[in-house]
Amino acid sequence: MSAILAVCEQRDGTLRKVSHEVVTGAHRLGGTVEAVLCAAGAVKGADQLGKFGADKVVTLTNTAFAKYNPEGCAQAIADRAKAGGYAAVVFAASATGKDLAPRVAAKLGVGLAADCTDIAADGGTIVATRPVYAGKALLKVKVATKPAVLSLRPNVFTPVERPKAGTAETVAVNVAAGRVIVREIKAAEAGALDVAEAQIVVSGGRGLKEPANFKVLEELARAFGGQAAVGASRAVVDAGWRAHADQVGQTGKTVSPTLYVAVGISGAIQHLAGMRTSKVIVAINKDKDAPIFKVADYGVVGDLFEVVPRLTEEIKKLHG
Amino acid sequence: MAEIVPAKHQAPLPMSQLILTGGSEGAADRMELDVLIVGAGPAGLACALELAKLGKLAKADGAELNIGVLEKAETLGEHSLSGAVVNPRAFRELFPDLKDSDFPFRAPVTKESVYLLTADSRWRLPTPPTMHNKGYYVASLCEIVRWLGAKAEELGVNVFTGFPAASLLTEGSHVVGVRTAASGLDRDGKPGPGYAAPNDLTAKVTALAEGTRGLLAQAWCQWQGVTSDNPQIFALGVKELWETKQPLGRVIHTMGWPLPSDAFGGSFMYPLEPNLVALGLVVGLDYKDANLDVHALLQKLKHHPLFRPYLEGGELVEWGAKTIPEGGYYALPHRRSGDGVVILGDAAGFVDVPSLKGIHYAMQSGIIAARTIFAALKAGAPSAHHLAEYDRLVDHSYIAKDLYRTRNMRLAFKDGFVLGGIQAALMTVTRGIFPGWMYGMHADAEVGRRLTPGESPGSPGTPGFRPGSAEPLAVSKVDAVFKSGNATRDTIPTHLIIGKDVSAEVARFYSHVCPAGVYEEVGGVLQVNAPNCVDCKATDVLGPRWTPREGGSGPKYKRM
Amino acid sequence: MKIAVCIKRVPDSETRVKIASNGKSLDEAGVKFVLNPYDEFAVEEGLRRGEVTVVSLGPAAAQETIRTALAMGADRGVLLQTDTVPADGYEAAQALAAELKPGGWDLILFGKMAIDDYNQQVGPMVAELLGLPCVTAVAHLEIDGSKGVAEREIEGGIEVVEFPLPAVITADKGLNEPRYPALKGIMAAKKKPLEVKPVQLGAGAFEVVALTPPPERKEGKIVGEGPGAVPELVRLLREEAKVL
Repeated sequence: MSAILAVCEQRDGTLRKVSHEVVTGAHRLGGTVEAVLCAAGAVKGADQLGKFGADKVVTLTNTAFAKYNPEGCAQAIADRAKAGGYAAVVFAASATGKDLAPRVAAKLGVGLAADCTDIAADGGTIVATRPVYAGKALLKVKVATKPAVLSLRPNVFTPVERPKAGTAETVAVNVAAGRVIVREIKAAEAGALDVAEAQIVVSGGRGLKEPANFKVLEELARAFGGQAAVGASRAVVDAGWRAHADQVGQTGKTVSPTLYVAVGISGAIQHLAGMRTSKVIVAINKDKDAPIFKVADYGVVGDLFEVVPRLTEEIKKLHG
Repeated sequence: MAEIVPAKHQAPLPMSQLILTGGSEGAADRMELDVLIVGAGPAGLACALELAKLGKLAKADGAELNIGVLEKAETLGEHSLSGAVVNPRAFRELFPDLKDSDFPFRAPVTKESVYLLTADSRWRLPTPPTMHNKGYYVASLCEIVRWLGAKAEELGVNVFTGFPAASLLTEGSHVVGVRTAASGLDRDGKPGPGYAAPNDLTAKVTALAEGTRGLLAQAWCQWQGVTSDNPQIFALGVKELWETKQPLGRVIHTMGWPLPSDAFGGSFMYPLEPNLVALGLVVGLDYKDANLDVHALLQKLKHHPLFRPYLEGGELVEWGAKTIPEGGYYALPHRRSGDGVVILGDAAGFVDVPSLKGIHYAMQSGIIAARTIFAALKAGAPSAHHLAEYDRLVDHSYIAKDLYRTRNMRLAFKDGFVLGGIQAALMTVTRGIFPGWMYGMHADAEVGRRLTPGESPGSPGTPGFRPGSAEPLAVSKVDAVFKSGNATRDTIPTHLIIGKDVSAEVARFYSHVCPAGVYEEVGGVLQVNAPNCVDCKATDVLGPRWTPREGGSGPKYKRM
Repeated sequence: MKIAVCIKRVPDSETRVKIASNGKSLDEAGVKFVLNPYDEFAVEEGLRRGEVTVVSLGPAAAQETIRTALAMGADRGVLLQTDTVPADGYEAAQALAAELKPGGWDLILFGKMAIDDYNQQVGPMVAELLGLPCVTAVAHLEIDGSKGVAEREIEGGIEVVEFPLPAVITADKGLNEPRYPALKGIMAAKKKPLEVKPVQLGAGAFEVVALTPPPERKEGKIVGEGPGAVPELVRLLREEAKVL
């Protein structure tokens, strides 16, 4: 297997951690891994890529790369890919990667295996596994293009340390002036996170005992750093404790966050069916026979007023 | 209190919102049609198809007929549910050039068995003559409706899905059309961001094919003072569709367990494919025990040694519920036609309980109505006088003949299973000559329900029920509603009209009546989870009155 | 403005997925097909800004999907009819680009992805093939003459992007609130022009090896009792479940 081009990401001159996953994933294909970055100058943290298996780290520089430059980056990466005879070009399926990967693939005249949860080299052929139908099935495809262009689902390819030389190189590149200009990145509106859209949902039920106690869940949600929304069971919404917009789907409306934490929800009434397809379900309830524990992947039996604050503390530690 | 009489707690029909005068305000848009059909079930679609065919044949006479069919489900078939074993007769009449193998049936009935069940055993019974199904086909009503709908659209019929009819538009005694329900209202009934105002559809003739316990059909009968010899009575059927490991090669019907002896009904299990099985329990809503819960009884039934081996290791793929009009001949409205209106199918009560058949009667009534409507339009007079021909033709058709023959059979069972059985046998043997009189019947809501002291919470019927290891095949009402495909908007305003004096006992009674867990008794008070509703109409018969919600609400049946 | 919107006929999001006997595709028996939800945002955005032509690549039944867009208010439809759309998104992009090339469009809209294959590529690939600027996953759009500003969600913020017209935009949820077809719209849709053009696509370079159900949900476990169980819970969420 010849070299693999691992397209890493930086923002404001600092390496984004998802790049570790890209290098880790690229390593699975065998062959040498060349990590590449588009940046205006040196990238803080790029030297760490060797730790995760990059044989070489190349920074393509141009002042136009100070912010994400869709057309410029696509051109630079595609040019590099064409020149280098790589077996595969691997991206993260991050917000930027989802934008960049198809552009590069089209420039190379090939398709893209997007959002893969597994990649492998089977003999000389690259095989990608990707979730389809909202994760209700897995599609395995042989990607016969040269190079194969792949993007990896974030949070799946857990970074593995396997230190390599990681020799660094900086190459100044010329790119045409792009037509699509990123003007700025502005902060997301506070409280705009919709329960149905959030990656993490912390939901409360009648076990909270009164509306004011929901602040315990709000603190937990905050500890997750902007990815979490506070949901409520229909019972507490009907009782007027929480707004209608917070109600977690029921009677067939599926809510599918990556992590669903059901706090003080028995799971018997109007709740179970709607959140069943969440990737991981955690239940916290003082009744060990509560039906929610049958559906939950992990459960803690206990007083939520003791367990949740402890969980908030531990999550805060994680996020530093 | 020792018993509940449901009628005491029911609200009356909201006539002021159901009957509107033609020019009233409130509609965003107005569409004119020649014929408007309310309901895209077998009756409505058969009517549309026959009309379209007649219209095409007569094209030389003038412009094509503008036919519109309104359907409250988001997609055709999503609110259709039946057993079903279908008599292909009406299909053959509607499509004389097609063969049985062209029709949307699954498999011919080859073998069938009838059993009397006890808690752990069964007695094979000879198949009653009224229930012979040889020559008939196992089918999914959803598939039938989608098939009929596609054929109707090919002929130029306009099928508008996602539009429930909420009110009749009238001028004098004339029905001139309907107004659809608004959509996008918030929980308090005020227009939300996605608000769409109601639409008025006017037509020379409106055919009400709303199905069981049709709201507008009820309203029209009350408005026009149309009565029947007996009040209409209903059964509630709860049905599940299973993918099974064990193949089923015959049609099965049972009576007896788990029904108490003072309840009428039975179960069915039909193979759509050897490993795709429809099964359900049907119970007359005049049962006497306030705790009776049809969904719960179905869950028990599945564990009986007759059913369990088929279901073990299988997967529940769909669940649903619907009421069935059971009053038969004497419950038919004295006329099913009027100025500018006809009533078709289940909405009129064309169901034969002893043979468990309604689909072909529904379609036949639609075909007959189409011919009457076409003639009336040609004569330029869609008045009661001309449309009465529909009643005359139905009364002379096999619809009335079949219903007359079994006119008292279901009614006899109000005296209990044994006495009912004896009388039914006599009726069968004499081919309907016995008895010479009509059995009087009470409306279901008038029948008193015994309260059982000390009902245990968590009993299978309560929404809080969760299947334990003793009943591995059982499904709770919450999960069942999920399997009906119900994805009704959570913030929709409630569509149910609660009556008066709803005590804790009445609330508990409602929680057992409703198979979908809409009602709960919480802290002595009735809690209403309206989005759970799957439009079976049991609530309209025994509890809070049902009104239509925004289009697309309710279940999304696929192969029921 | 002259606008093209590319749409796809996909299985309904609530579809119970059954694998066909060939082990490589979806068993379509009883499956309800709908207009791809992300494409609804694209159609709606087009309807708000100009004259809309909808283009779809798919089987004959996709005419029904086009009619849904026509019922919403689109002016005409084009079906590039093919029974099989290969797993290789580049093939689809080439077919669509060939159809769109001569059109002189001010704006070409796509949904950001299809809810069946989750390929997330056809829109930007078409832009590349047509040499047009492209912004993907747009949740807010403003157009002023021949310039536009789009907002897209990225990790931890909102990216504000400027671009010139003509351009290709792929729509994300929240771009707008798609309208329901009105009764009159449904009726009118039948009379609007719908051109059907059979096309032949290459097999593409992706070979489907298998379509399989996801791994079984493992039986859950009670991690422990009381707040003392929390550190272990967090460890499991990090290392085993990999959600933190």
